[in-house]
Amino acid sequence: MLSIRNLSKSYRSAGISQAVLQGLDFDMAASTSVALLGDSGSGKSTLLHLVAGLDRPDGGSIEFAGKALHSAPEPELAALRRSRLSLVFQQFHLIPTLDVLDNIRFQAALCGKFDDVYQQELVERLGLDDQLDKFPWQLSRGQQQRVAIARALLHRPELVLADEPTGNLDERSSSEVMALFSELVQRAGSALLMVTHSREMAAFLDRRVRLHDGRLTESE
Amino acid sequence: MNRRLSWVLKALLSHYWRHPWQTLFMLTGLVAGVGLWSAVQIINHHAEASYRDAQSLLGAQASHWIQSRRDEGVEPGVYIDLRRAGYRQLFPLIELQVSTPGGQTLDLIATDLMALPVSLLDEEEDSDDFSATWLDFVQPPYRAWVPETLAAELGLAEGEALALRDGRRLPPALYRANEQQGRRILLDIGAAQSLSGLQRLDYIAVGEITPEEQARLAALLPPELEMVENQQHLDLQQLTASLHTHLTAMSLLSFAVGLFIVFNAVRFSLWYRRSTLLNLRLMGCDTRLLIVAIGLETLGWSLLGSGLGFALGVLLAQLLLPGLGASLQSLYDAVVGVDLGVSPLTLLMAWSITLLGLTWALAWPLYRQLQRSSFEAARSATLLRDETDARRWLGWAALGLGLLALAWYPRIENATEGFAVLGVVLFAAAWSLPLVLALGLRLLSAVLPQRRLLLRWMVSDGWTQMPSLRSAMMALLLALTANLGVGMLVDSFRDAFVGWLELRQSADIYLRNPNVDYAELRRRGLAEGWLADSHSRIGVTTRWRERPTLVRGIDPRAPDSLQLPLSRWQGDSPAAALATWREQPGKVLINEQVMFLAGVEVGESIRIGDGAAARAYEVVGVFYDYGNPYFQFYLPVAVVASQFSHYYSRGIALWLDPADQQAGARAEAAMLTLGAGPGDWISQAEIRHLSVGIFDRTFAITASMNALTMLVAAIALLASLLAILHERMQQFAQWRALGLRQVEILLLIATPLLVFCTIAWLVSIPLGTLLSWILIDKLNVVSFGWSMPLLWDLTPAVWLAGLVLLICAATLLLVSLRWRRQMPQALAQLGEIV
Ligand SMILES: Nc1ncnc2c1ncn2[C@@H]1O[C@H](COP(=O)(O)OP(=O)(O)O)[C@@H](O)[C@H]1O
Ligand SMILES: [Mg+2]
Repeated sequence: MLSIRNLSKSYRSAGISQAVLQGLDFDMAASTSVALLGDSGSGKSTLLHLVAGLDRPDGGSIEFAGKALHSAPEPELAALRRSRLSLVFQQFHLIPTLDVLDNIRFQAALCGKFDDVYQQELVERLGLDDQLDKFPWQLSRGQQQRVAIARALLHRPELVLADEPTGNLDERSSSEVMALFSELVQRAGSALLMVTHSREMAAFLDRRVRLHDGRLTESE
Repeated sequence: MNRRLSWVLKALLSHYWRHPWQTLFMLTGLVAGVGLWSAVQIINHHAEASYRDAQSLLGAQASHWIQSRRDEGVEPGVYIDLRRAGYRQLFPLIELQVSTPGGQTLDLIATDLMALPVSLLDEEEDSDDFSATWLDFVQPPYRAWVPETLAAELGLAEGEALALRDGRRLPPALYRANEQQGRRILLDIGAAQSLSGLQRLDYIAVGEITPEEQARLAALLPPELEMVENQQHLDLQQLTASLHTHLTAMSLLSFAVGLFIVFNAVRFSLWYRRSTLLNLRLMGCDTRLLIVAIGLETLGWSLLGSGLGFALGVLLAQLLLPGLGASLQSLYDAVVGVDLGVSPLTLLMAWSITLLGLTWALAWPLYRQLQRSSFEAARSATLLRDETDARRWLGWAALGLGLLALAWYPRIENATEGFAVLGVVLFAAAWSLPLVLALGLRLLSAVLPQRRLLLRWMVSDGWTQMPSLRSAMMALLLALTANLGVGMLVDSFRDAFVGWLELRQSADIYLRNPNVDYAELRRRGLAEGWLADSHSRIGVTTRWRERPTLVRGIDPRAPDSLQLPLSRWQGDSPAAALATWREQPGKVLINEQVMFLAGVEVGESIRIGDGAAARAYEVVGVFYDYGNPYFQFYLPVAVVASQFSHYYSRGIALWLDPADQQAGARAEAAMLTLGAGPGDWISQAEIRHLSVGIFDRTFAITASMNALTMLVAAIALLASLLAILHERMQQFAQWRALGLRQVEILLLIATPLLVFCTIAWLVSIPLGTLLSWILIDKLNVVSFGWSMPLLWDLTPAVWLAGLVLLICAATLLLVSLRWRRQMPQALAQLGEIV
């Protein structure tokens, strides 16, 4: 489903070019989950952004669901992000002026894939029943992250990209949310590529890969 | 696509729903700016339409006038003869001025109602409580058609006969709204004749006429009458053009200040929606969709803003029009109708400038944000760099504008260019303000003692507040500058004008009635001992270099001629120049309008007079002639009497004997016995009161615009502070948790505000002076042809400082009230970070 070949990306800042990804290869099957490990600054977020089409690689190819992302035009990338991908970040990126229900339905609304039964299930599982008419700033951080998860899953994306989704939460709520998250992703039938620092989190997932010196290696 | 668009719009627009204050400010800025601008546009267009109507009177087109060559009026017999000769398109006119017991001057216009086109009379429908057939108008006791607004001002009921100051009464009033009547009261000719006791007509208006008919008609006229083309429309347009340009300039200033509020509100809405936009992009909204949404938002705001603003403009125009109409009538004899016609074109213009302004303020920055890669846009470093960039960029733009103004200034030729330069100067100043504010902060931080840590912190917080306060400070600077500059202009002008009036109108009584024998009056006055001196003047109206012109015959030895205030003169002193003018033949004095608008200099020789009778005169002096839109030449009375065939009397000025307690009463008795009516003379006190009244009324509109501009700036300030509060509530809560007291945090908000306001105020003083200097040195001169010294006074600046303090205090109070309401919640959210 996702196939990356010989991917390279470098950043140029203050005249010095810094290679972040160098000849990276990676394959991932549908409905599987992969934990992306690596030191801070090793390029994990960069890789995720490239896969999401938010940035362009310097070289190599990324193919997702038969589409060549590295060369697709921007509107196509946007359409892809809209309906077949989901992003979950450490910062929750909720729309502050819309209530919880609107936030949850937003991405599904954008690609026209409503499913009221599934929505109700997500809301219940994530414990958001009583929060639907509240605004994001009226929720705790853990609750905000649950809203972001519901939003990311409601349209049943093929691939969920998560960048340290629980990095912002304390330990207890973080493992709670993680367990729920990976379970819900699995039930939705989506694949999951998740950056995390925590071995404990990584243990929830099917595979673990480590990013080091611009390349990926399988890890225990 | 449509459903997606509606969700995107929902996300973008929910911001305004959730932040009603900001929405209100945005709307206020738009509505205030558009309102003031369109009010002036409506007035200008309306005035222009009225000037066009001046050519047609009461529905009948007057292409020519038949008038006396010596301003002695037209015998009614001539009119009857001409009509008998088959000229149906003629109608006679009498114009009268009367005053109410309250001292208000009313203009009456009378015509032969039977001669008017029939359609006009059909229009008049009977009113409910007082009905009259048109026959009632033409037979005693007659009727007076009074414009409804004027009747309301006078408190005149329908059917009531208005009592005049001298005891006469107007015919019973009938409300009537006729556009071309303006503020004048319309009567039948018979009513006017019985009111004034005079039979003569002022002139006869000639309707549509072929050139052959016109030649035949001219040949039928007795020698003392002449037929002249009606150029009123063109003259009025020319004479009032500058005034209207001034109004437009003021309205554009208001629009600019309004735009600053919009900028401010937009900055907040952009800052706040940064995350929403990023979010939308992460969820796969393509840029095209977002651009469409932003375009729709801009369009919506422009429609709402211009619609409401235009409504406000109509309201404002209605409020301002009577005062302005009265000024136009007394300054230029321009009749401006009372009922506003609103053209869809003005509305369209209002909408397009709003759209333009909004596109600049809202759409462009949003679009730029979209152009950035999604993650770069979210970084706070980008924002900080943007701020420094913006400051530098504005500074360079200001420098460019400053240089442009400097290069353009000496080449200014008309009012429009003058105001363009003025606008450039103001924008240059506003745009350099952020740099000045930054400099001020840096200086202040450098001089503050090292030990006063808290104070240093409060001052340094200015850097954080700068982005939010920037546009509000620019708006404040503009408002302060406009207030100071225009205020200084008005004060200087008033001072010059009043001083000039005192010298020019030094006589005690001015009498004007062509039937009175002035020589006999003077002889009697001197014999009876109540008269100290007198001055009877004659004049000729003509055109000189395409402009209506007055050639006056002045008695060179009269008291007012001896001390005529000159602005330029030939020789050593004004007195010497006046002596030359008195004693040597072929010398002329010109008014400043001739010098500035026609470019005539002292020492130059100019030709005055019609056709072959024109003669050359050397200019030996230039006199001030405030409030007069015409060209004027002063020649000794004997010269005018001998060189011009059809001069007429311009009245007589009487200086009473100061020692004689009864002089006033005796003069009035003498004037009455010689055939003058009580309305024919005016005392010095009255004429001064009237002139100063006209002056003040003309500038009343300026004062109200200034006040509004100040209000707009105050709103901008409040909006910014609320935005700061909103943006930083979390931070304030953290500090509060660290043990800072509420007072200290409020001081933290207040200190940079006060520092910035002080800087803006300090900058506004020289800038206001510059503005006023440009207005006096250039704009008054190129547009009106009046020069005057600049009167510099710090008092208004001190008053404004007080006002700014008051505004700051009021805004801070509002902010602290909001602070109290929001702090508990912000504190509650703090706990979750740990
Ligand atoms: N926009 C950028 N410009 C320059 N350098 C960047 C940019 N984004 C990331 N980097 C650099 O690339 C490296 C990898 O960053 P990132 O992918 O965020 O690492 P990780 O997510 O693994 O912590 C870091 O050294 C970072 O400084
Ligand atoms: Mg990262």
